[in-house]
Amino acid sequence: MIARLRQAALASLVLLGLLLTPAVSGAREYLQLFVAQPYLELHTGPGRGYPVFNVVPRDGSVDVLFQRTDWFKVRTEHGVEGWASQQDMLGMVLADGSPFRFSVGDRAGFGAHRYEAGLFAGAYGGANYVSGYASLSFNSQLALEAALGQFLGKFSNGVTADVGLTHVIAPEARWSPFLTLGVGEVHVEPKATLVQAANRTEQTAYVGGGVRYYLTRRFFVRGEYKAHYVFTKRNQNQEADEWKLGFAFFY
Amino acid sequence: METGIRILLLTALLAALPGCASVREWYQQRAERRAAARAQSAPPPVSESSQDESAPPRVIEPEVARRKVKVPRISSSNVEMGLDYGALSIEDFGTHPVYGITTAYHITEDFFFQAEVGRSRGGRTSFETLSGNIQLLTESERRFTYYDLSLGYNFLPGEAFLGRGIAMTNAFYLIGGIGGTDFAGDTKFTVNFGAGYRVVPADWLALHVTVQDRVFQSSLLGATKLTNNLEARIGTTVFF
Repeated sequence: MIARLRQAALASLVLLGLLLTPAVSGAREYLQLFVAQPYLELHTGPGRGYPVFNVVPRDGSVDVLFQRTDWFKVRTEHGVEGWASQQDMLGMVLADGSPFRFSVGDRAGFGAHRYEAGLFAGAYGGANYVSGYASLSFNSQLALEAALGQFLGKFSNGVTADVGLTHVIAPEARWSPFLTLGVGEVHVEPKATLVQAANRTEQTAYVGGGVRYYLTRRFFVRGEYKAHYVFTKRNQNQEADEWKLGFAFFY
Repeated sequence: METGIRILLLTALLAALPGCASVREWYQQRAERRAAARAQSAPPPVSESSQDESAPPRVIEPEVARRKVKVPRISSSNVEMGLDYGALSIEDFGTHPVYGITTAYHITEDFFFQAEVGRSRGGRTSFETLSGNIQLLTESERRFTYYDLSLGYNFLPGEAFLGRGIAMTNAFYLIGGIGGTDFAGDTKFTVNFGAGYRVVPADWLALHVTVQDRVFQSSLLGATKLTNNLEARIGTTVFF
């Protein structure tokens, strides 16, 4: 028991060390921006409710230290550090006078973005299902998607992994339907009380569709149905229905 | 079954058709971009007036190259990762220490996704204690491992002050989600909900106090029932 505790403590220390490395490691080059609007407001924290404690006048400059959600931590010429909102940062210019542009989480971003990820709850072959996915978009319509899920049922538990292509039919619409197609694997662990209770891993292929609904900022709701065909090693192939609904965001 | 495969193949074909259309669109966009780049790199046409000697001398056009601004990448720090430690009360099996790893991704100032893995142990039930030598579970089955994916909402953001000189941002948050629990030789679908408090003493560091209830169905002691497993933890996380 003591040896295991010591092991756990050691592992925690190593992990903490790894975690702290990026925070401690050295100086870097920051982006310098100039204020083009009458002034830039600096808040005490990264949120709409935090009070404004400093302003940078027109033509003043700030260094952008980092971004957290929709807020930028900046440092003024006098060394004052504060948080500027995404909306205010859109009025800043670069050293050559060109406007500062970055990816904004809005409705336009919903129609065209590079990455998205989300969480789902649902049912897989009648069992409770938890799953998550991430996708990489080639353009506004076509994306490569990977999903991992776990189903927990009365008769068996198991894990699914899918990779496939998704085609969004109307990316600019608030309700945008999509089709999906791909392959995967399913690992099934039948409960011990059943006959034929051997664990098995099998190939699957799926086809499905669903709908995305833009909520606000970077968020959308996504509902989806996939018909899985499980290529078993027995005489009969199997089919499994997957229904799920969840939250997702894009970046 | 054959009709199933036929439907699968037909649907594949259907799905591929619009897909092909968008690939074509993609190629077209690339071709347009290339053409634009070529047009930019081509030398500007020499104006005829400069070759005409009878025309008055022109003002010398300054050949100032516009300064190119190199834009360094702005690092984003939305991911929070860390360790936590606390106590977990497993229904019927007593309260025991729990330790875990938490990873969160902040999407907006209000919402974040969180993934958690934690481990604890179930003790002896009162039934086992009273009845002498009966063991409901083996030692390895008493290991309690949970994992979940949750959505959190920062509902009371604010600032905490330490004396006159130090201000730290903080927030109460509500959290809820779903996942699984490995206990007593089975994995159960688990719903969790709770609340926490986060204080951020430095831009890269956060301290947490969290209380969560993990609810799953169990029929270990005869009747099937919903078990509530309350957990209180303190944790340290680092922002990336």
